[in-house]
Amino acid sequence: MKLIPLFIILPLGAAFLLSLSGKRKGAFCDIFSNAITLLLFIISLITLYNTNTQILPLIYKVGGWAPPIGIPLVVDSLTAFMLLIVNFISFMINLYSVNYMEKFTAKSKFYTLFLLMVGGMNGVVISGDIFNLFVFFELASIASYALVAFGSRAEEMEASFKYMAMSAMGSLFILLGIVFLYSNASTLNMAHLSEVISNQGINKTVIFSSILFILGFGIKSAIVPFHAWLADAHPAAPAPISAMLSGILIKSLGIYSLCRIFYNVLGVTTSFLSLLMFLGAVSIIVGGLLALGQSDLKRMLAYSSISQVGYIILGLGIGTPMAILGALFHLFNHSIFKSLLFLNSGAVEYATGTRDLEKLGGLREKMPITANTSLIASMGISGIPPFNGFFSKLLIIFACIKSGYIGYGIWAIIGSVLTISYFMKFQKSAFFGPAPKELESTREVPFLMQTSMVILSIVCIFSGVIILPKFGNYFTEPAKNVLAQGKDYKDMILKVTNEK
Amino acid sequence: MDFKNILLFDSLSKLVGTFIIFFTAVIFIYSLGFIKSKKLEYYFWFFLTSIVSLGVVFSANLIYIVIFWGFLGMSLFKLVNLYSYTDKDIARAAKKSFIIVGGSDGFLLFGFLIYSYITASTLVAGNIILINTPLSLLSFIFIAIGCFAKAGCMPFHIWVPEVAEKASIPVVAYLPASLDKLLGIYLLARIVKDFFVLNDIAKIILLVAGGLTVICAVMMALIQHNAKKLLGYHAVSQVGYMVLGISCGSPLGLAAGLFHMVNNAIYKSCLFLNIGNVEKSSGTVELEKLGGLGKFMPITFLTTLIASLSISGIPPLNGFISKWMVYQGLIDFMNSAGSLTLKFTIALSLVFALIGSGLTLASFLKLNAGIFLGNPEKEVKEAGKLLLFTPVILSLLCLIFGIFAYSTILKFIQKSAGSFVEIGLWQPQLATYLIIAGLVLGLIIFSIMKKKVRTSASFIGGEELLPTEEVKIGDFYNAIKEMPLLKNIYKFAEEKIFDIYELLKKFAFIIIRFLRYLHNGILSTYLVWCLIGAIGLFFYLFK
Repeated sequence: MKLIPLFIILPLGAAFLLSLSGKRKGAFCDIFSNAITLLLFIISLITLYNTNTQILPLIYKVGGWAPPIGIPLVVDSLTAFMLLIVNFISFMINLYSVNYMEKFTAKSKFYTLFLLMVGGMNGVVISGDIFNLFVFFELASIASYALVAFGSRAEEMEASFKYMAMSAMGSLFILLGIVFLYSNASTLNMAHLSEVISNQGINKTVIFSSILFILGFGIKSAIVPFHAWLADAHPAAPAPISAMLSGILIKSLGIYSLCRIFYNVLGVTTSFLSLLMFLGAVSIIVGGLLALGQSDLKRMLAYSSISQVGYIILGLGIGTPMAILGALFHLFNHSIFKSLLFLNSGAVEYATGTRDLEKLGGLREKMPITANTSLIASMGISGIPPFNGFFSKLLIIFACIKSGYIGYGIWAIIGSVLTISYFMKFQKSAFFGPAPKELESTREVPFLMQTSMVILSIVCIFSGVIILPKFGNYFTEPAKNVLAQGKDYKDMILKVTNEK
Repeated sequence: MDFKNILLFDSLSKLVGTFIIFFTAVIFIYSLGFIKSKKLEYYFWFFLTSIVSLGVVFSANLIYIVIFWGFLGMSLFKLVNLYSYTDKDIARAAKKSFIIVGGSDGFLLFGFLIYSYITASTLVAGNIILINTPLSLLSFIFIAIGCFAKAGCMPFHIWVPEVAEKASIPVVAYLPASLDKLLGIYLLARIVKDFFVLNDIAKIILLVAGGLTVICAVMMALIQHNAKKLLGYHAVSQVGYMVLGISCGSPLGLAAGLFHMVNNAIYKSCLFLNIGNVEKSSGTVELEKLGGLGKFMPITFLTTLIASLSISGIPPLNGFISKWMVYQGLIDFMNSAGSLTLKFTIALSLVFALIGSGLTLASFLKLNAGIFLGNPEKEVKEAGKLLLFTPVILSLLCLIFGIFAYSTILKFIQKSAGSFVEIGLWQPQLATYLIIAGLVLGLIIFSIMKKKVRTSASFIGGEELLPTEEVKIGDFYNAIKEMPLLKNIYKFAEEKIFDIYELLKKFAFIIIRFLRYLHNGILSTYLVWCLIGAIGLFFYLFK
């Protein structure tokens, strides 16, 4: 329990120290920030272990103040699940950045912003207070605006500006929603808020603020029609940051917050669920089609994120335990293979200087590690068995059929055909076929970049086993139960709070 | 652990499993002589493919089948792509085939999931359901799509000719020509036997798909100039017969389909491997550039001839018996069919099957004459012993399964398909004796008459050819391309109007163009969408 605040203190403190180190180059920044992210990953593993052995939820009261006045940090199984994903991926990406970010100046600034973003995401996931959630949400967002523009070329600035404008609008919607809820319930603690709302019943104010939340978090998680910023922002950022944004930022800031607030605090209604299903299905198809039409590798991957987030949203919208399990599993899988794919795209760009699929080719012979890891990731995301993506899509589609939504199931299948199509296009254009003359001298990327790609691809191959109860019971299953229990969340929290 | 629910060893899976092992063995021997570079990668994927295929056949659980089945798409992709660094088109063919095969796997999965939702079980055997609701029909169609794509039945056949043309020969002989056929037809037979009781709509779907596959693919094969592509189209065309046999739903039809599946795998891989030998010796598979190889490659010629006669359905070879059984199954089926529509469809597909058989012979005449007869342009060497071993074994099997069909292979097939009574009479051994007797008699008469054989120069239409002119066998077939109605159809086919992949691609890109028009990169447009989305949300949640 004492470990909980470390998720916020460590990255924020490290960011502060790194910013003091100024423009100094050298190994210090690399080692320090990698050590911090590794430490965070280890703590998140310990937390996952704790959530499986101790009575939940684990609550840390900041400054010793009791809720509802004080700020609680709450860890339940869903939080532990998200923390593990966030910190694992950020460690992998940090490892990759050591070599990749060499070509940029001011590496220490990069690490500062990177750790701020990690701290913000951890804070969003761990916060038990809706306003505090918003504060960390903004922290991560602002760090990400700066990181998208990190290359400081014209197109990156433009993308960052667009991203900032749309994202700020989303943030304002969320803030407004929080204001409405607070005016209604006079509390910001999520458990108390939930209790007040249950006692009052759903009134117009709650519906109004829930619409604002859908808008705000919908923009963050890039659900169609709020997705447009993503296709500009993700490709413009340096590859590790694209991997962060697509891999975990849209999930922890967007999907996690959406789930937590709707499933556990406000309570889900059938009209809300069918809305989610519809938006999810539209995202799957629109994102997939747009990805198919791209020849810019990173832009294609960005659109593919929209499509895959659609699957998660569809699963959440069906709302049965199996569907939620599938959605969370897909969230985990997507964060693995999408970060891996962005790292691959970074490796391709690093080695060849271009990410235009028309100009690439034959890299399999030159860059075997990148080629094979990206093949694994592509197979995973296309849902080819026995890779991980297959099992999560299987759960979501089976849940569709079981709940009688055959039409949505067919959409999901068509989406998966589209996914196969554009990933095959990627594989064919980048890695197979003869290599063009300009790429004759291409070489494989440095060791640390290879390492993180290889580790992620190994996870990609073997994380399919989470579908087995033997493994899933400690990881996805309890996280699913948190969402499936819905508004009972408040009772659990209040019980633990009142005991102490 | 309860293996009863994990592994399934019934006569059908044993039959298919045996042939998977057999083809793995014989094509492995061929590969030893053929594959010279990237050996490690090739053999890794080769043996992985065989293990995974056995997994499909012996799985008792639908989910396991899908897992193994889906993985085969990937191994096909890797094997086809083995030498893609030499040619861009190889990568393109691999991509296309993986999209079709992998995409159809999604539908197969969906079909299985619906099926297991209906029966509340994921076991392969033991839950036969009627196709009486739209849901069960949907499940049947989706599973059939998976089978069709794997086996290469229309309209999901397009990947087969392209892979056949581009990939290296052992890969073609191993996957599209034998293993994929065995698996696709295995699953189709399995669902007809153990999953569903077919209704008229389901049967009509199978009949139409089968009949069209036979006739359309063989028409395409007729006009090909590339030997590998020609065989690729035949690999599609023959699937039609298997589907027709299985569509009958009766033990006889099922047995016919399975027997044809086995036969096709045998002669088709024999043909592909022989073409591989020809390519290795002469460096080309373009029929225009070949000719007269029979003199230099007698064993290749002989085995190709046997396999060609067999695929064209010439008695007493195996291809004849299985086709004959398919016809009988169809006729039997027509007699018992209830509705007039069904009767008509059966009659039509029977006619297609009969015509298709004749056209198959015509196109194999072109292949054999084009490669082995005529005047040789240069001297070539016969292929090595390792490369000849497999075709010889396979062509011997063509003979054995033809002449001794009822005492060998059909016994096993009868076990898996159920016992059946044939309505027509065919005694292959007796017929063989009679054929041999006829040939001997002819030779005796010929030698008794002692007519002199006259040799003269070739001529066309009574006019002798000039030495500079040379008529290639392929030229005769160009006439087909010029026929009034066919001319247009072939033109459409060349523009890929009938290619479902290209069609869907075109359709998708129309939508994509519209979507890209919407994504113009201007911030205010994006904000407008958010606004529209917000209005929609308010409208929906506040109504």
